[in-house]
Amino acid sequence: MNYFFTILFSLLLLISPVQAQEDAYSYMDTDEHPGEILEINPEEFEEIFDPPSDLEDNDPLESINRVTFGVNSFLDDILFDPISAMYVGVVPEFLRERIGYFLRNLSEPIVLVNNLLQGEMQDAEDTLRRFAINSTVGLGGIFDVSTDLDIPYKREDFGLTLASWGFEEGPYIVLPILGPSNLRDTIGRIGDYGFDSINWWAYFTDDNAFYSYTRTGAQVLDAKSDNIEIITDLKTNSIDPYVTFRSWYTERRRGLSSKNEERVIETAQPEDEDEENLEDDEY
Amino acid sequence: MMNINKGSFMKRAVFTLFSFLTWVHIAHAETNCDAAKTFMNDMGENVISLLTNQSISDKERADQFRTILENQFNLKAIGKFVLGRYWKQASDEEKQTFLNLFKETTVATYANRFKDYTSEKFEIRGCHVEPDGGVIVSSQIMRPNGQTIPINWKIFEKKGEMRVYDVILEGISMGITQRSEFSSVIQKGGGSLEALNKALEKKAPQS
Repeated sequence: MNYFFTILFSLLLLISPVQAQEDAYSYMDTDEHPGEILEINPEEFEEIFDPPSDLEDNDPLESINRVTFGVNSFLDDILFDPISAMYVGVVPEFLRERIGYFLRNLSEPIVLVNNLLQGEMQDAEDTLRRFAINSTVGLGGIFDVSTDLDIPYKREDFGLTLASWGFEEGPYIVLPILGPSNLRDTIGRIGDYGFDSINWWAYFTDDNAFYSYTRTGAQVLDAKSDNIEIITDLKTNSIDPYVTFRSWYTERRRGLSSKNEERVIETAQPEDEDEENLEDDEY
Repeated sequence: MMNINKGSFMKRAVFTLFSFLTWVHIAHAETNCDAAKTFMNDMGENVISLLTNQSISDKERADQFRTILENQFNLKAIGKFVLGRYWKQASDEEKQTFLNLFKETTVATYANRFKDYTSEKFEIRGCHVEPDGGVIVSSQIMRPNGQTIPINWKIFEKKGEMRVYDVILEGISMGITQRSEFSSVIQKGGGSLEALNKALEKKAPQS
C-alpha cells in the first residue's frame, strides 16, 4: 500500500497548481533585467497560456493514444459490444435498470468521500440521505427512491475533487479498456479505487476478491450497455472518431467540474457584416 | 474645489447613465429570453413530431428536416465557427461546397436517426442571457424509460429573427466537437479545406 501512495502523490505533484504557475511565470526572469517582473496585460497572458482551441494542444501523447484507442475499438468490436448486445438482448430492461441502480448505490460512499473532500456539506448530506434511503426503502439500492423524493443522483469522483482543488487537467490520455481520460482523471480513478470500501474489504479478506472482480465486471457491462446508443452514434457519424471522443470527453468533464459557476461555452456568433445590428446590443 | 465638484458630478452622471443603460440592456435581454423560449418551444415540438413521425417516407422526413435547418439555424455562422481559422484561408467556392456538404451530412445524420423513438417529450426548462448577448435556452427530452437528456440551445436574435447557433448536448457543444474533428481532418489533409470536403463527400448521401 506504501507504493500506492508514493505513486499517487508523485503523480499529483506533476499537475499541482503551484507547479503550473511556476512554469507560467518562469519566463519573466530575463537576463537583461534580473528580478524585474514584466508587465503583461491579461488578454495577452490569456492568449499565450490559454489558446482558444486547446483541445489539440492538450494531446502530446497523440500517437500512443491513437494506438490505444485503436486497440480499445478493436476490443469493443470483437468482445465488449457482442457481450453488451447479448446482455441487452437477454436481460429485460427492468432487470438491467435494477442492476444499474444497485451498482450505483454501492458507489455512493465514494461520492460521499468526494463531497466531503470538496467541502460541499449540502451535497454530502444529500448523498448520505440517498444512500440511507435507497439501501433500506429501496431494497438494497435496486430502486432509486431518493430521486422520487427529489434528491437526485449527483456524480462525483476524485478527478472532479482534484479539479475543485485547482489541479490542471494534464495531458489527454486514452487508458487501455477504460478509454478517454486525462492525467488528472487517471489519478482520480486511482484515488476512487482507494476510497472504495469494497476494494479494501476484498484486500484484507483474500477470499472476497471474487466479489470485487465480479462487481468490476458488472460495472463495465452496465456502463457499456447504458451508452451503447450514443457511442455507436459517435463512432459511425464521425470522420475521425478519435478526435470526436477526445473533444467529447474533455467537454463533458469540464461541464461536470464547473457545476456551481455558469460555464460560458464559446459558440458561433452572428456575422460581422451586420455591424448596425450588433450595436444595439452594446451599451 | 471646482475640480473636485466637477469630478464627482461627472462620476455621478456617468454612474446614472451607466445604470440606466444597464437597466435598458437587462430589460431588453429579458424580452429576448422569453421570446427565445417560445421560439425553442415551437421549434422543439416541430422537430420532435417530425423526427418521430412514422407515417411519412424517409425522404420526406429528410426534406422537411432540411427546411427546418435552413430556416431556424444559422448554418453559415455555424459552418464558419466549426472551420475556425481555416475559414479565412478557403476560397469562396470551397466555402460554398463545404456549407452545402455540412448541411447534407447533418441531415443524413439526424433526419432518420430518431424515427423509432415514440412518445418522447420535449420540455423547456429555462433560459439565461450570456455575456456575448446570446441566449441559452435549456430544455430536456424525456425518454419513455425515464431517462432525461438535457439539451441547451444557443440563440441569437439578428434583424428581428431568431436563429440557433449551437446545440449543447449533456454539456457537450456540438460546435466545438465538430470544430476539433474538422480541424484535425484538415490538418492531416495538408491544411486545405479540400481534404475535409472530400471526406464529407464520402459521408454525404449521393444526390
